[in-house]
Amino acid sequence: MTLRLTRRGALASGLAAAGGTLAAPAYAQTRERVARIWGEPGPYIGVFTNGMNEWAQRNAPGLRFESEQIAWDAVYTKLATDLAARRPPALISVESPIAYQLAAEGLLEPMQDVNTAIRARERLVDGFTVDDFGTWKGTQYAVPLHHQGCLFVVQDDVRQEAGLSDPTNWTWNDLLNGAKAIQAKRQGSAGFTMALGRNLCGDYHIQQLIWQAGGMTWDPGRSFETTFNSPATIEAYEFIKELYGTMPRSAVEFSFLQVVDQHVTGRTGSSFYWGRTMGRAFDEAKPIYEKMEYYLNPAHPRTGQRWSWTDINGFIMPRQNNPFIREAKEAMAHVMNSTDWMVRYANSLFPNVGPVFKDQATAPALVNNPMYQQKKRSVDVIFTGFVPYACNSGHEIKKGINPLAGIGHGRNVWSQVAQRILVNNENPRAAVEWGHRQFEDIRRENRRLLG
Amino acid sequence: MRFRLSDRQVGVLFMLPLILAVGIFLVWPIAEAVRLSFVRYNPLRPDDQPFVGLDNYLFVLEDPLFWESFWQAIVWTGWSTVLQAVIGVGLALLLHQPLKGMNAFRGLLLFPYIVPTVVIALNWRWLFNSEIGIVNHLLLSVGLIDEKIAWLSTPSMAMASAIMLNVWKYTPFVVIVVLARLQTIPTELYDAAKVDGAGVLRRFRDITLPQLAEVLAVVIVFRTIWTFNKFEEIYLLTRGGPGTSTYNLALYAFDQSIANLRMGVGAAAGVIMLVLLLAGSMLYIRVSGFGREDKAA
Amino acid sequence: MRPWIAAILYAVLGAITFVVCFPLLWAISTSLKPKDEIFRWPPTIWPENVTFDAYRELLFGGSVASAPGAGVPPSAYFLTWFGNSIIVSIGSTIISITVATLAAYSLTRFRFWGQRSVPYIAILGYMVPSVIFVFPMFLTMVSLELTDTLFSLILGYVCITLPFCLWLMWAFFRGVPIEIEEAALVDGATRLQVFRQIVLPVALPGIIAASIFSLIVSWNDYLFGRVFMNSMENLPLTVGVMHFFDGTHVDWALMMASSVLMTLPMAILFGFMQRHLVAGFGAGAVKG
Repeated sequence: MTLRLTRRGALASGLAAAGGTLAAPAYAQTRERVARIWGEPGPYIGVFTNGMNEWAQRNAPGLRFESEQIAWDAVYTKLATDLAARRPPALISVESPIAYQLAAEGLLEPMQDVNTAIRARERLVDGFTVDDFGTWKGTQYAVPLHHQGCLFVVQDDVRQEAGLSDPTNWTWNDLLNGAKAIQAKRQGSAGFTMALGRNLCGDYHIQQLIWQAGGMTWDPGRSFETTFNSPATIEAYEFIKELYGTMPRSAVEFSFLQVVDQHVTGRTGSSFYWGRTMGRAFDEAKPIYEKMEYYLNPAHPRTGQRWSWTDINGFIMPRQNNPFIREAKEAMAHVMNSTDWMVRYANSLFPNVGPVFKDQATAPALVNNPMYQQKKRSVDVIFTGFVPYACNSGHEIKKGINPLAGIGHGRNVWSQVAQRILVNNENPRAAVEWGHRQFEDIRRENRRLLG
Repeated sequence: MRFRLSDRQVGVLFMLPLILAVGIFLVWPIAEAVRLSFVRYNPLRPDDQPFVGLDNYLFVLEDPLFWESFWQAIVWTGWSTVLQAVIGVGLALLLHQPLKGMNAFRGLLLFPYIVPTVVIALNWRWLFNSEIGIVNHLLLSVGLIDEKIAWLSTPSMAMASAIMLNVWKYTPFVVIVVLARLQTIPTELYDAAKVDGAGVLRRFRDITLPQLAEVLAVVIVFRTIWTFNKFEEIYLLTRGGPGTSTYNLALYAFDQSIANLRMGVGAAAGVIMLVLLLAGSMLYIRVSGFGREDKAA
Repeated sequence: MRPWIAAILYAVLGAITFVVCFPLLWAISTSLKPKDEIFRWPPTIWPENVTFDAYRELLFGGSVASAPGAGVPPSAYFLTWFGNSIIVSIGSTIISITVATLAAYSLTRFRFWGQRSVPYIAILGYMVPSVIFVFPMFLTMVSLELTDTLFSLILGYVCITLPFCLWLMWAFFRGVPIEIEEAALVDGATRLQVFRQIVLPVALPGIIAASIFSLIVSWNDYLFGRVFMNSMENLPLTVGVMHFFDGTHVDWALMMASSVLMTLPMAILFGFMQRHLVAGFGAGAVKG
């Protein structure tokens, strides 16, 4: 019923506009004020928005929050056009590299007041600080929302069939040999799968390997010098090249979706991914789900590191042309102060969005989730086990915050380097040098962000 | 052209909306694009637009990706246009045959032209899915291939898939135009040739082809320019990948503007495309004799 | 024609038609499959268990939300997007056709300065890549505060439809003999009467061909919609359906069902207007 009304409204206003009433934009027809909330595709942003609407109904009649799901490869188009159009969303749930970038650009509203109102510092789960979500030059610009670490997902039956040991203590060598063994044992199945397409997922999967080998893109400790062309980076790409032999050939076009598809449909023995693979297998492929286990990423044999590309996801707020700042802040605090809503949030796509608050993480409604009950070891890895290894491109190896990474992701430089090696057969060293030049350009062009 | 001056006002009146529209929808956006190509414009900071002279153009011309996109666009355009022309003429000849039920065939074969690009691109991604796509399944079961082809994952195959998409969608355009022209060729020409004992092939070479030559030239120029400029087909199918192996200039301009936050550079790439287009249309005008004093009318 | 030749021709035509139509047949087949059948290898050519769930979800919004209280799934917007696409396609077509018809008539019946260069400009405009138009037009919409309105999209589409409509109408009017008009004028009819009563009826096939072209182009556009529009409820269909590409899950049945539904209006239009289309395009291209 509501749907039909909206459609008629759109029809009417559109026809009016087509008829030449220039002054009547479609949205101005409704008296209701609508504040848009951006989030990743998935139900959780909708749940959070429902919580905000609970606040709006009591405290701001006529205001409605509406969630919009933005696929992350579209986020730049949306951001660029909406900010240029001076019609930003009221609130954005965003991965911290982009938060750092926008904060450094001076586009964000400070969020200290919200973090105080929700007692973020005291409630935050161990291992994270409020600053991890988006603090720049001492000002907090983000409010903690959820975390997701990228981990090593293994089908245990396939692993045992191939006679492989417990992956808990695996190194890169075990990963490579294990993937080869699985591939040899199972006709038509890949040994291992990761995203190598020119997209965000490819960037993320590649970066965690670079960090494990000890490489990083920019060094905040040395005034953001570009350090991409180190031997460690080259080693990581050489390893990827070797590993590619155990992956599906089409991995070079894979993004988030295809990696999960591959795993959930039983066409790979192992993969890199966040919690969603388990959730989707639970919904769609019970036999796969039953044998699925999550482990920390295999360690680099020399450094022993198991870095995990972590979506440290907070809420940020565009500062300019945003008429909803006060209301969105209050509504957000209302939801975050409610353990109940935060549990609903985490449960809406279990175990994809990790709980950020202690009360949320220990709430019975979350702990009693059937997946938690059945897969306690794996879910504990997903929710807490990876935390010591959590970092991301905006905070590489936890050596300091860096606002350039978001731009690097906009251009997908990391995955482009991999594609040059795997698709164009370029020498890894040469490809890394190419990437180094791109990163150096980004640093030069955006020096003003570094202050 | 022989009317009295008295209703001249009507003529001017009728032209006014067009003059207005050309100003708003053609001249203004292009002028704005040219202006943008001389400033640095980060869409995240729309209020800050310093003039940078020719920097954007230099950036584009020094960028290897621009040249890669340029050459790939030529490969894409070349193959697409040639295949469309050849298949299009063949199909038009076939559809021109006096057979019962021809209208149904015509309808079905012209149909792809109206299918939205988004739909085709999605269908293509589904058909050519390397793991569970039907195309691989059919080829495997017929025995044409031994293992699954990673259609969109290797540069040459991705380019081939993109070309196939373009040919599938736009060959009907060639068919429509050629078919219309075929219907105007006087049948007496063929009858006379038959009397002279000319076979099917000779009749095609000596009558049909020369009659089609002009319209074909026009269609080829058109299709070349359009294909060269296409954005959506490639963006929705491969996003320029794998690597950058299916990038073309439109994608380059779009990505510079949005993903790289360099609207000025994107605009400069657009203006360069515009210059290429002008060259192309000169060719068109030469080929078609357009604008010469028209004797037919 | 000898029967065996006809038989061969039919066979060839049939085979080609099958290949050409296959992508859409496959879309239909996929759209009718239940979830577990879609990812099966080898794929089933026709669904073992036909289900209309995907269509039901799109058309009646009775969607299975992934979690209670999870907000509105993108598929609930399908009909809204459909309506938007209809509005903007028709809107831009009305503007383009009106402007083009008036101007084309004027260009072929009057003599004035710059007259010969107008078709040139049209043809040039027709070839300008839309990626050039889109950002300047967007920035213009920003300064007019029109972004995220269907009206902005209508104006954007005029950019890409007007030149060809003008060109087509111009070519068409050139082919219409002016003797009847002259006779009517001599008999004392006014120019506007002539235009309404004599010219427009004759020009109808041209107007139809140009309208179809314009409808197809605006219905199929993705770029303008992607850049101009923000809110879920204002998106055109082409941009909207891309939302079904959830980050970690694509419902291919839903995707293919929306493909089918999206193609349907154009297919119906095309079915009715096919003859005009061939005639109109032919006139345009041959003349030009």
